[in-house]
Amino acid sequence: MIKGEDIVALVIIAIGTVYLVAAISMPSMSIGDPLGQRAFPIILGAIMMLLGLSIFFKPELESKPVLSRKKLFYTLIITGLLGCYGWSLDLVGYPLGTFLFLVITVRLLGEKSWFLNVPLSAGLSTALYLLFTRILDISLPLGIIER
Amino acid sequence: MLDTLNHLIYGFGIAFTPINIFYAFIGCLVGTLIGVLPGIGPAGGMALLIPLTYGQDPVSAIILLAGIYYGAMYGGSTTSILLNVPGEAASVVTCLDGYQMARKGLAGPALAIAAIGSFIAGTIGVVLLMFIGPPLARFALKFGPAETFSLMAFGLSMVTSLAGRSLRKGLVSLILGLMMATIGVDLPTGYIRFTFGIPKLMEGFDIIVVAIGLFAVSEILISSEELHSGEYFLKKLTRIWLSMKDFLNSIGAILRGTFVGFFIGVLPGAAHVTASFLSYSLEKKFSKHPERFGQGEIRGVAAPESANNSAACGALIPLLTMGLPASAVTAVLYGALLMVGIRPSPFLFQKHPDVVWGLIASMYLGNIMLLILNLPLVGLWVKILSTPPRWLFPIVLAVSFIGVYGVNHASLDLVLATLLGVLGYFMRKYDYPLAPVILGLVLGDALEQSLRQALMISGGNLSIFYQSWIAITLFIFAGAVMVAPKIIYRGRGLAEIET
Repeated sequence: MIKGEDIVALVIIAIGTVYLVAAISMPSMSIGDPLGQRAFPIILGAIMMLLGLSIFFKPELESKPVLSRKKLFYTLIITGLLGCYGWSLDLVGYPLGTFLFLVITVRLLGEKSWFLNVPLSAGLSTALYLLFTRILDISLPLGIIER
Repeated sequence: MLDTLNHLIYGFGIAFTPINIFYAFIGCLVGTLIGVLPGIGPAGGMALLIPLTYGQDPVSAIILLAGIYYGAMYGGSTTSILLNVPGEAASVVTCLDGYQMARKGLAGPALAIAAIGSFIAGTIGVVLLMFIGPPLARFALKFGPAETFSLMAFGLSMVTSLAGRSLRKGLVSLILGLMMATIGVDLPTGYIRFTFGIPKLMEGFDIIVVAIGLFAVSEILISSEELHSGEYFLKKLTRIWLSMKDFLNSIGAILRGTFVGFFIGVLPGAAHVTASFLSYSLEKKFSKHPERFGQGEIRGVAAPESANNSAACGALIPLLTMGLPASAVTAVLYGALLMVGIRPSPFLFQKHPDVVWGLIASMYLGNIMLLILNLPLVGLWVKILSTPPRWLFPIVLAVSFIGVYGVNHASLDLVLATLLGVLGYFMRKYDYPLAPVILGLVLGDALEQSLRQALMISGGNLSIFYQSWIAITLFIFAGAVMVAPKIIYRGRGLAEIET
């Protein structure tokens, strides 16, 4: 049975290795700079690998039973929503994007009343947009609404 | 000494005019709001609001901006405590204990001690600024690359106190942060490192994007999961006000934080962030109950909050005494001064005493104003905690995203923040501390570049490090910090076995 902790340790070793390999493959010539752009990364990569190996072979004493597939799935959905929200922000615009994000996420998190959800989400998105663009002067994209 | 007091009285005369009091108030108010909003830190907020100063009298303009600076330092702690979402990079440390206090129903005292600590630190900081500013500035000039490297090494040695039970996991987080700092353009050589062909990575990782992603997003992810499975609970508010006992307990932390923060602030580098990390770590190291830190220890809030306010004062010293902006915020102030027609220089005190002393006096004023503004607000902020989580969480994300977007107007930053949030989620699940990542990211650049610069100057000769008494002292401190807990714990462990 592969424990989650072990997978994490392997990931750490992998990160260290990839980073180290990328560091070593950098050209080493640099005028006047005894260390150059490779030295520091090489040290970091090596230490990371060693730490990963150490944690893999001598794991910490306490390892909590951690992830259930269901919980992970749920988290992934929210992450997906957030990712879409972020990625489409320029396209769709802040007011609309935030509105959609709020409506869906709030429902996902347990708000049963659409009657409350939709108007409140719309109001909040608009309020946030106006607060930041008008009062604080931070420009936010309008996206589709603009066109 | 008498001279200084005379100047100060002169400054008060300027600061206490109705218009300047008004500007100080507006600055503090807006600054607090900006500080509360996750992502937009004092430098960003001040830069955004510089247009408000067009056409103003120079003194008033500076008073306004200083108010924003201060207010943002205060405000940053609010979301850190209430939501585990750092208002700005320096508030990351406040999240560690502040949020735990909030979960125990002690949000009120946490917010209160943050406000009070900030006030005391700010006041003492201004006094220190007045009296020892110039000689301290001359000392700071002695910091060349070798000294800076040793300072950074000292800063990193602090990771041992942030690591909790597993030092190795803390080191993994730290190295991760350092690795992230190396991604992007290497300034001395112009070589682009570790972008793996992804154009976005050429700019490197922005601290705000990482702080929000790693902390805020992961926090919401975890809390949402807890909500979903019925495990989420926020202990009901037990008290709103600070008890005298809490206050007396924290005084030491406040004073220590003040002095640590002030001296770190004078030195070039990431003043506020380093100051808050350092003061937290020192407080934890020298406490009789280090295990309480991270579980809601009030000193874990008092120390960093005081440190970052006094660091703000310390950071002004190079600017005011020598005309050198040593941090992002002071660089913005520098720009603002230029725009109102004043060129900061070593003679700023002589040429424009009204600006300098008016500023210093308004800082006293600002401190008082912020305390008056913030203490009553504690009750209000805490009410916000009672918003149902299913609304609170998405709203926090929506607001945090504005903060992230505001950095570069790039929606890719939002995606990056989301991915970092997933990383933070897994790190939390497997007990890898998040704070060292920020520490590594912030200090990594300075650490590497100062090492290389030092060796470039000395031609590869390591003697540059041991010829500097400052560097040696800091290395010794760094070593002591790393070794000390082992000695203490070993002693305790033996005692436990014997009993």
